[in-house]
Amino acid sequence: MFFILLKKELYNEFRSRELILSMLVFGLSIILAYAFTSNVSRVILTNYAPGMFWAMILFVTVLGVHRSFSYEKEMDAFSMLITAPIDRGLIYLSKWISGFIFLTVMELIICIPFFKFLLIDFPLNPLMAVGTALLINLAIMAVANLVSGIAMRARLSEVLLPVLMFPLVSPVVIAATKISNGIMAGDPYQLWQIWLLIIASIIVIFGLVGYTLFDFITEE
Amino acid sequence: MTPFFQNKINRIWCLTVVGLLLLNVWNIVSNTPMVLDQHWAQKIFYVHVPSAWVGFLSYFVVMIAGLMFFIKGDEKWDDVGLAAAGIGTMFIALVLITGPIWATPIWGKPWIWEPRLTTTLILFLIYIGYFMMRTFGGHIERIRRYAAALGIIAFVDVPIIFVSVQFWAPEIQSHPQVEMAQQPIGILIPFLLSLSIFTVLYTLMMRYRIHVIRISNSGVENV
Repeated sequence: MFFILLKKELYNEFRSRELILSMLVFGLSIILAYAFTSNVSRVILTNYAPGMFWAMILFVTVLGVHRSFSYEKEMDAFSMLITAPIDRGLIYLSKWISGFIFLTVMELIICIPFFKFLLIDFPLNPLMAVGTALLINLAIMAVANLVSGIAMRARLSEVLLPVLMFPLVSPVVIAATKISNGIMAGDPYQLWQIWLLIIASIIVIFGLVGYTLFDFITEE
Repeated sequence: MTPFFQNKINRIWCLTVVGLLLLNVWNIVSNTPMVLDQHWAQKIFYVHVPSAWVGFLSYFVVMIAGLMFFIKGDEKWDDVGLAAAGIGTMFIALVLITGPIWATPIWGKPWIWEPRLTTTLILFLIYIGYFMMRTFGGHIERIRRYAAALGIIAFVDVPIIFVSVQFWAPEIQSHPQVEMAQQPIGILIPFLLSLSIFTVLYTLMMRYRIHVIRISNSGVENV
């Protein structure tokens, strides 16, 4: 059942051209704003780049997650989904994993203009950068999907989503920035391994909380 | 539902709390010793730390009320959660006001990204979102469930936020709260007294808020 739901979510997300386009254009606009507002030396910009990158990803995630959940609101598809005889925790898991795959693909596309337009060098260890980014994306989506599940069917959901999500996701942003800083500076793994542990604990805790609470949140 | 202060127990309780609060202020101003390097600024900690304690206790109650709401499905637990969230946010706001008042003369600046202060600020922002959702969210039945879930998630997030901020700025760890238990008896006893009085005040506020919420839910205006 999980794979059927996952397939449905992925099909919805990758088929939706406006979702892909809006996320990419929004990401590019943020990069443009960064370029105009941070006309400083390359060394200084490289120091700030990890934080700027993850802030951009956070904004893009809000847009993507909101749009993704909005589809379910149209013609009340979500009500039909939750009346189906399936474990609602699986709905959360499928949304989490599909959101993670979608965000990762978006991130891979958007990181190229980010580094090229801001004239920042790619990380020396790209494998390490991609591996840690995968974990960070998993953590961001664990929190974002849970908050979306709460905010989606409330009024003013487009306002409530970022207001609720940003403070809750702050530990992920801190950890992501520290990890990427370490990788960009070529620091040994021991210096930033604690941040990976924090990311791993967020994935486990929010994964479990999301799986358990989603059943109650979506109750009619 | 009878008005809150028509109940004799509530009246006695309220008068006791007012008396205890006056005693607390007098005790802090007159009986506590001056700390050499802090003078009057130190005395704010008899209010700051108990406020933080009541704030975090309230948020713990919100989490418990959320869990009970999901388990029992009884609206009474939502009233408890809402009352605790409101009182908790008020006390956390007090912490965020009294902290910089103390920090300005002692640290030379009103704010540093110290783990406890930062965690408190993030929690405060989460609860601002909580109240926005409760106020503008729409359908009350759904909002009750969402609020219960958010109360649980917010409390689960607290240790993660705290640990993250602690490692994020390891050079900023100095906070007098940590040293409170090792203070001389002349400071420790008034501090514990203040902590107890704030806790008693919290119980009265909870009782009153729950009463008001239940009256407003039933549509009666006479509080």
